[in-house]
Amino acid sequence: MISNGAGPRRVALAGPGTVVALAVAAVVWLALLGPVLTLVSHLSWQSISTALTQPGALQPLGVSLEASVIAVAVIVLAGTPLAYLLARGRLPWGRVWEAGLLLPLLTPPLVVGLLLVFMIGPATPIGSALSHLRLTAADTFFALVVAEIYEAVPYYVLGAEAAFAAVDPELERAASLLGDPAPRTWRRITLPLAAPGLASALAVTWARSMGAFGAVLIIAYHPFGLPMQIWTTLQETGLNSALPFALVLLVVALPLPLAAYIWSARARRRL
Amino acid sequence: MLDADFEVSRRDFQVSVQLQLDKGARISLLGASGAGKTTILEALAGFVPLARGEIRLAGRLLSQAGGPGLGPRLRRVGLVSQGSALFPHLTVMQNICYAPGSDPDVGRARAASLGLQSMLDARPKALSEGERRRVALARALTAGCRLLCLDEPFSALDRPLAEELLGQLLAELDELSVAAILVTHDLEEAQAFANQMAVLRKGVILQTGDSVKLLHQPESTEVARLLGYRGSLVRGEDRIVVHPDLVRVAGAEVLQLEARVVGCRPAGAQFWVEMVVQGGDWLGRMAARWVSPLQTGELLSVSVPMTPKFPREAPWNE
Repeated sequence: MISNGAGPRRVALAGPGTVVALAVAAVVWLALLGPVLTLVSHLSWQSISTALTQPGALQPLGVSLEASVIAVAVIVLAGTPLAYLLARGRLPWGRVWEAGLLLPLLTPPLVVGLLLVFMIGPATPIGSALSHLRLTAADTFFALVVAEIYEAVPYYVLGAEAAFAAVDPELERAASLLGDPAPRTWRRITLPLAAPGLASALAVTWARSMGAFGAVLIIAYHPFGLPMQIWTTLQETGLNSALPFALVLLVVALPLPLAAYIWSARARRRL
Repeated sequence: MLDADFEVSRRDFQVSVQLQLDKGARISLLGASGAGKTTILEALAGFVPLARGEIRLAGRLLSQAGGPGLGPRLRRVGLVSQGSALFPHLTVMQNICYAPGSDPDVGRARAASLGLQSMLDARPKALSEGERRRVALARALTAGCRLLCLDEPFSALDRPLAEELLGQLLAELDELSVAAILVTHDLEEAQAFANQMAVLRKGVILQTGDSVKLLHQPESTEVARLLGYRGSLVRGEDRIVVHPDLVRVAGAEVLQLEARVVGCRPAGAQFWVEMVVQGGDWLGRMAARWVSPLQTGELLSVSVPMTPKFPREAPWNE
């Protein structure tokens, strides 16, 4: 009963070592939280309202939300089966697949954007194929979605792989011996047990996608998403005027990841 | 009903099995760890391909060498593994009635006969090891399996608990006429579960038969070892192997010996006595009924049965 957290939890404040460790932890925590606190302390209600009530001020927010919803949907649909197969070792040369996923993660986003221009830009074979579908991957909404996918996809697939790997394959075998068809096992065993990990992966992916900047700057300068708006505002009218938009980005990008984190921590404790 | 004759390739050796079971019949597979017991159960459950032969259950072909065989979900083979493999996010009742189309009344009945009725809403995490095994058994039986495979289901349970659970399980198996295979390294457990016993070593069934007969008539020194024979005496051209439980002090048995006590410790109502006979042969540990422990160095007059007997050159110490 004590192990599932019902009893009181106590932190033993014993030796000087504990005190030092706690002090260091507090400093690190405050330093990490610092930027957010700074942001809040530098803003007044007035500056927020003037910045956000200008005509078209919230349009980039809409663009970012739309693009991220599409990007995350594509990533989840394409990435979930891949992550499951990787976790179960069902793909030949699993390491090679993983390395391929790490590549966009390890490549600087700016470089990814640059290479995307040469891969799917209008002057390339893929670009001309896309033009038959009335799509152009340069300064378009489509390009913005593609850039966000490239920046965010490794976070989801690697996170989801870890989530699936944590589900004991023995449970799936037990379900199949009880007469369960594979889709039902997936729905009733694999997915619920992987859900906390999947939620964390999804949360990080959402935040990455909303904040995607490097690749976006090169391949999708227009239409303005929120990160681009912050960038151009501070270029044109200075640091102060960019702060309200930074706040908007945080407010929009953070609640989902935080909620997902809290939910998945609770779900893990319950099992 | 079950008709299995197959081989499975493992990295270290071939597992080769021949098993027949009637409806509601039971057999125990006895073998040391690493003898291929679990591999046999996995082949029956359809998780490993056969290298040769086939498995039939109630007239249906389950597996065949060279083919994928019937999927695990269509086999109606239950498996209770050492880890129980309960679904941690479901309650006991949801676990028991997991199989598609399970009747909740049937599930409740199975739970009641295995003593689980008071914990149907608990999650597996809150259960003891013994309760988890019970849930796994109730779940397999509720799913309507025709053959139940048990992989050391009583290991990690203390003896009285294991015996209670075994009694309940046997009653259930008889009531439902479910055939069952138990694999274990524990001779007493194997005997308690089934009259039929097969002794397994390195993937090969060495001997099959009635578990009491088998114990008294092992066909080779290897089987004798696996059945718990520990001592050995060479007399002329014969090697007489001795089971610790069959040695008695000064009985009217066949071979009278002078033995010296080299160790003695209490074991339940009895004492385990270690002794050597003159000439240095080790007789192993023996259960003997005495009221007080024996002293080291004490000389005893003991008698051992003259059977089983093997040629003198038969291998004994491996």
